[in-house]
Amino acid sequence: MTWLVWRQHRNQAYIAAAALALFAVVMLITGRQMASQYHSALISCAATHTCSDLATTLNLGSPVLFLLINLTLLVPCLLGVFWGGPLVARELETGTAQFAWTQSISRSRWLAIKVGWAMLAAAAWGGAVSALVTWWSSPVNALQHQNFRAGQFDVQGIVPVSYALFAVALGIAAGAVLRRTVPALATTIGVFVALRVVIASYVRPHYMTAVTKTYRLAFAHPMPSIPGSYWQVSRGIVGPGGQAASSAAHSGVGVSINGTLVTLPPACNSLLSQDPPKIFSCLAAHGYRAFITYQPANRYWAFQGIEAGIFALLAAALVAVSVIVVLRRDA
Amino acid sequence: MMASSDPAVIQTRALSKRYRTVAALTDCTITVPEGRISALIGPNGAGKTTLLRLLAGLARPTGGDIAVLGTAPRPDPAFLAGIGFLAQEIPLYRRMSAADHIRIGAHLNARWDGTSVRQRLEGLGIPLGQAVGTLSGGQRAQLALALTLAKRPRLLLLDEPVAALDPLARRQFLAHLAEAAAGGGLTVLLSSHLLSDLERICDHLVLLAGSRVQLCGDVDALLAEHQILVGPRKDTTAIERDHTLVHAVRTPRQTTLLIRRNGPVIDPAFETADVSLEELVLGYMGQHADGPSPAHLSAIGGDQ
Repeated sequence: MTWLVWRQHRNQAYIAAAALALFAVVMLITGRQMASQYHSALISCAATHTCSDLATTLNLGSPVLFLLINLTLLVPCLLGVFWGGPLVARELETGTAQFAWTQSISRSRWLAIKVGWAMLAAAAWGGAVSALVTWWSSPVNALQHQNFRAGQFDVQGIVPVSYALFAVALGIAAGAVLRRTVPALATTIGVFVALRVVIASYVRPHYMTAVTKTYRLAFAHPMPSIPGSYWQVSRGIVGPGGQAASSAAHSGVGVSINGTLVTLPPACNSLLSQDPPKIFSCLAAHGYRAFITYQPANRYWAFQGIEAGIFALLAAALVAVSVIVVLRRDA
Repeated sequence: MMASSDPAVIQTRALSKRYRTVAALTDCTITVPEGRISALIGPNGAGKTTLLRLLAGLARPTGGDIAVLGTAPRPDPAFLAGIGFLAQEIPLYRRMSAADHIRIGAHLNARWDGTSVRQRLEGLGIPLGQAVGTLSGGQRAQLALALTLAKRPRLLLLDEPVAALDPLARRQFLAHLAEAAAGGGLTVLLSSHLLSDLERICDHLVLLAGSRVQLCGDVDALLAEHQILVGPRKDTTAIERDHTLVHAVRTPRQTTLLIRRNGPVIDPAFETADVSLEELVLGYMGQHADGPSPAHLSAIGGDQ
């Protein structure tokens, strides 16, 4: 059966291997250049004590390379479309399932081996791409501290493996249920993109309760230093006693400070025309404080693990659906 | 039901299959003894494909019982090793060669005779290395039959295997099949909507029409049980009472009756004649196509 799976999909495997090899060459060459560029920049900035500005002065990579990195977001979806979708659907559509299912092999074994290899290949391929991107990005991560940002979190670490497993399982299940290749592919793309967007935007920020730090309002609005690649969830100003800064407690003038609408206490009103910078100290004196809510940098792998777990569970559920549908339904 | 001592390879009782609101097969009771080449005849949509798929375990019945080779069809290696199934559209992997298919068979079957397929294809001049999608319909059908036979099945289920073939390919295909069956130990059930396709090789008949079995039995026995009566236009109530009327053609000058005999016919007004297989099949199909009268309905009920 393994031989049949290989014979059916070897062309796809060759194409995928060639694409991966090409991608690896680009990543390895440019990654090495970028790493040495970063290290020499570190040495020269240490000499001039300007390393704190390095994030703004040093330009790593090129727009084309970052586009390529962003394109790896599509890898799981492509695997779902080219490997997952047709796996069962094409056999049902062309009738070859009837050929396979009347050889001396049980349907469950046929499905298990097909699904097993497809998932294994997806995990290996998704993992290889992710490993290359993660390694390539290490100077960028060290420089920019934006590991949590969408477009970086989603293409590095272990989550791409889980996305690939999910996408392939989704393709297989859609094919088993719909029994036709093209609708299965369309469903795979639609559901995958929708679910990824929903989870990344609405679920991911809540995997763990965010940490809130409040600090004194001042004109230059300096932030307390937070180490590493933390993930800022929100930032703003709170009124006295934690109430909203725009609360109607004062029927004063509303001003927007760093994106937060603040209703000025009457005492601070006059400063608006006389000496605007002093509004900060006036607000601080009236109990207003600045805050930042964030996920600390050391939660990065916990977040990767939680997200990878969610998609792996969804993948397992979809495989179960495929098994039930293939075994229960008539050929 | 049949005067045969051979053990039954196929036995169904009140078998039914419904697809949502459509009855594909209704109350189907048939027996096919070992060693027969049985023709499954019926118009398009009669339920032939459904019956074959139920027998192969590709579909599950919604009612009744099936025993194939002594067990209920199920998708496990022990059952599947005993049957060979060939679907109507001859599904093979179009981009793979015949040699690839022979290897697939070797991987998926514990009992596999790849040499026989090679020999058969070489004998027919069918290229082994060429993608199956580029072969002609006749070549594909021959390949599929050879692959099905390479499992050394005890029961071969073939769904309209010759429908898409030209007369020469049809002849070769049936010759191949007859040769395989002559080896012994093989029972064949093959369907067609045309009796003439299968008449030469089959010795058993299952006739389906309108999702129901109209006739099932050994060809010789069926022919012996039926008779054609030709006589003047007159009242046939007496004959209908003693025998089972299958089909009647009445013109102003004469009456032609196809009956299932219950004993000798003693009406000097009628001439008796032996019935041919084609007349028998057309009689039962025509009966169904005309829309059965109440008398005919009871006749069908009596049959089955």
